Amino acid sequence: MTRKSGVAQAVATVLTATIGLVFLLPLVFTILVSIRPENEPVTQGSIFFGSEITLSLYQHALNIAPWGLHYFNSIIFVGGTLLVQLFTVTCAAYAFARLRFWGRNLLLVVILLQLMIPSGVLLVQNFRMINLLGLFDTRLALMLPYWGSAFGMLLLRQAFREVPIELEEAARIDGANLLQVIRHVYVVNAIPAYVAFALVSLSSHWNEFLWPFIITRSEEIRPLTVGLNKLIKTTDQGAFYGQLMAGTIIVITPLVILFLLFQRQFVESFARSGIR
Amino acid sequence: MIAGAWRHRLTARVLPYLLIAPTLVLVLMFNVLPAVNTVNDSLYKPARGLNAAGKPPQFVRLQNFADILDDSHYMGQRFLRSFRNTLIFALATVLVAVPLGLLLALLLNRPQQLLGVWRFAVFYPALLPLIGAASIWSFIFSDSIGLANAVLRSLGQPGLNWLGDRNLVLLSVIIVNIWKQAGYFMIFFLAGLQNIARELYEAAALDGAGGFQQFLWLTLPLLRRTLLFVSVISFTFAFQTVEQLQALGEGGPADSANLLLYLIFQNIAERRNWGYVNAMTLVLIAVVLTFTLGNFLLFERSENDR
Repeated sequence: MTRKSGVAQAVATVLTATIGLVFLLPLVFTILVSIRPENEPVTQGSIFFGSEITLSLYQHALNIAPWGLHYFNSIIFVGGTLLVQLFTVTCAAYAFARLRFWGRNLLLVVILLQLMIPSGVLLVQNFRMINLLGLFDTRLALMLPYWGSAFGMLLLRQAFREVPIELEEAARIDGANLLQVIRHVYVVNAIPAYVAFALVSLSSHWNEFLWPFIITRSEEIRPLTVGLNKLIKTTDQGAFYGQLMAGTIIVITPLVILFLLFQRQFVESFARSGIR
Repeated sequence: MIAGAWRHRLTARVLPYLLIAPTLVLVLMFNVLPAVNTVNDSLYKPARGLNAAGKPPQFVRLQNFADILDDSHYMGQRFLRSFRNTLIFALATVLVAVPLGLLLALLLNRPQQLLGVWRFAVFYPALLPLIGAASIWSFIFSDSIGLANAVLRSLGQPGLNWLGDRNLVLLSVIIVNIWKQAGYFMIFFLAGLQNIARELYEAAALDGAGGFQQFLWLTLPLLRRTLLFVSVISFTFAFQTVEQLQALGEGGPADSANLLLYLIFQNIAERRNWGYVNAMTLVLIAVVLTFTLGNFLLFERSENDR
């Protein structure tokens, strides 16, 4: 019996390590290639580090796209999206969690339609809507469709409902107005839900490509993913993969660092994102 | 005094609507109205030719749908191929990435050395931008210097044209998606596993059930709901995750690996075929809506049952 479970344990360990290494391989390979001298085949020099370790490929990648600018644009895009979302989502979540009003269920269903018809598949009509509003190629156009979030509203409504109503009543008796009640009673008691929503929102918009690509034309406002696309297209035309790998590392590093810092929160918040 | 009370009541009446107004208006503008407009615009054909500018689109009833379902029409060929590919892509994700996610959860739910490293190893792909993940794999799949062919050649096999061979591109895209999604699905199973009481396993062990029997008769039935949920979301996600194609052959030769949403994206980016784009979008909406609605009703109802 013990011997059998010992074998099972060993099999599990080997299996974990094998799958883990296979999954890690692309990242390791990318890093190694990005610090090799340009255009050096893998067979030359040390198999891991080539003939020397150099950052010249990063230099090349930097020459093709203005990464600093793209970083700035991505930060404005995801930050601006999140900030407004936090406001709209908090208001709606409070109304649906605590207030009674005519048409409540119907309006809730209308908002939940966003989960069933996600913006991502509505590219063509949202493109038209942005054009009608005269917002094509603006920062606002990038963010506007995401400023209302049914996912965030659901997440916070649930969290707000778990706050004891007595806390709100006590605050009211102390003379708190609505804004103070929301801030000091609800928001402070729903921090984990806010963290979960923030991480999902930040990472999904940081990674977004199709919408930013379609709705913008000027380099000055385009985010990182669109910059990376430019590098991919240059590689297509016969340039070398090394600089593409360097560019990829430039794009993915912030999220990987954020993940290493907040590993547990990330896993928990992604686990809630299934209803997205 | 009376005026004050009246004002107070009015505010209380209006307040809820003010609070939900921003979210409601945005959802109406960017989800509901676009969906309705998709239906409408799919019934029109834009004016064509030299003097087309300024002319109104022509009402063509269901002609756009007839065209995209017509095997001999150029758009029909593209649509049908992409739709078939999307189904294969979605089924492959459900059949491989979901069981792999479950396996990973079972493996990583036990105490062991380097647990943090392995968790990172299988979860980081889920964090990457699809287009970044794809750019990494475009190198792995590259013909002469890529890792995939290096492995094949070291085994004495000829290298393959992973992103250029029309029989192979879809498989390459599927491989990338499995690598990207398995870790994401894993976390749902991990959450499910952690909800199963330890005592159940202890009782099963006392009754003489081995590891595999415990999995078959205890873990699997208790994870049934999670399994169903993850399968449904992975199927619908597959219809929405297409950005990787930008770096993995752009749909392959003759749309051999094109996916529906990417075909739509290509047509928007090239400012073409407005009526067709809307007709294709409507098909996409119908599929996604059916599955998310089904998922929602299924799980909302069982939430209420508890």
